[in-house]
Amino acid sequence: MSIINYASREIQFKIVYYGPALCGKTTNLGYIHQRISPQNRGDLVSLATAADRTLFFDFLPLNAVVIKGFVTKFQLYTVPGQVIYNATRQLVLRSVDGIVFVADSQWEKMEENVESFKNLEDNLAKQNMSLEDIPYVLQYNKRDLPNIAPVNYLEYVLNNRKKRVQSFEVVSSTGQNVFATLNAVSQTLLHKFSKQSDSNRGSAPGAQTPRQTQGVVA
Amino acid sequence: MNAIPVLTIDDVATLDGVLADFLKKAEAELTVVIDRGGNVISQYGDMTVMDVTIIAALAAGSFAATRELARRIGEIEFNALYHQGNGSHIFMNSVDEETIMITVFGPRTTVGLVRFYSTGTAQQVALLLKALQKANHGFTFEASDISAAPIFTDSEPTPTTPS
Repeated sequence: MSIINYASREIQFKIVYYGPALCGKTTNLGYIHQRISPQNRGDLVSLATAADRTLFFDFLPLNAVVIKGFVTKFQLYTVPGQVIYNATRQLVLRSVDGIVFVADSQWEKMEENVESFKNLEDNLAKQNMSLEDIPYVLQYNKRDLPNIAPVNYLEYVLNNRKKRVQSFEVVSSTGQNVFATLNAVSQTLLHKFSKQSDSNRGSAPGAQTPRQTQGVVA
Repeated sequence: MNAIPVLTIDDVATLDGVLADFLKKAEAELTVVIDRGGNVISQYGDMTVMDVTIIAALAAGSFAATRELARRIGEIEFNALYHQGNGSHIFMNSVDEETIMITVFGPRTTVGLVRFYSTGTAQQVALLLKALQKANHGFTFEASDISAAPIFTDSEPTPTTPS
């Protein structure tokens, strides 16, 4: 849960990168850490195995000034994607404010994508939350690989809910659309807390419900 | 309800007072009150030596990770955890169902002293936070207050030719 401190004029938000194993969640955070100005970020902390698989979570704190008069702190987390670490994913989801669901675009990973998305919904439900309330965006990663599903198919499989959300074609290893995804989820969650959103829930004029996927810029 | 919970300047001053008193008595270096999701609620002490945000995220994870261990021996959770280093140590204790208190201390004091004073402090902090929830402060802002420009920028051009 976000919290605002009037004494230090800070607002904190927690964003979690969720998705199946080896879909590129840690790569997203690694790229952001590399490219963002050092004065706007802290250290990237990775609790990983010797083989660089995420064991608990990765964590990257970012600072920005986006609301007049306040420093906004975004805390980025990843979850371990491997199926057996579900208890850990539940812990990391605690108090989440925004989610980036990272899908692996390769055909053979489609089942894992769907399973992970369902797992996300289940884990949110266990904490009395749902994707209806939590701002989230979709990221279709690894668009540079040869054996990938078309975006329309990914949209059909993962973005076919009543509330359609922004989605991005991404190559996290080169950074394409990594920042676009981060900016989109940040803006979406900020708008959730704005007064217009509060007074017009369900038909918020500021709500982000675009249907087109943001493509890779070659 | 989409309002963000607020700590007013007075709330922070009151919390700081309680934490300052605790640090003085326990002779510890730093104390941080966090929620169980890893967000910092309040902090007091020498914050120059470490990144409090990262300490909070890792401590919340550490506290949560031992919950299952506690269940195996018939406990709901451990009320307190102690990480002993060579010169610096961390003591964590539960404040309430949503909140944890972390204390970093060095050779000037002992874990016993920190543990003793942290119990009372945690109770005081719990009461304060409960009163805050009842006061139900909430903060919202206008959509026009949000910067329209991209929040984060890629500081170098993205490579255009993927290998």
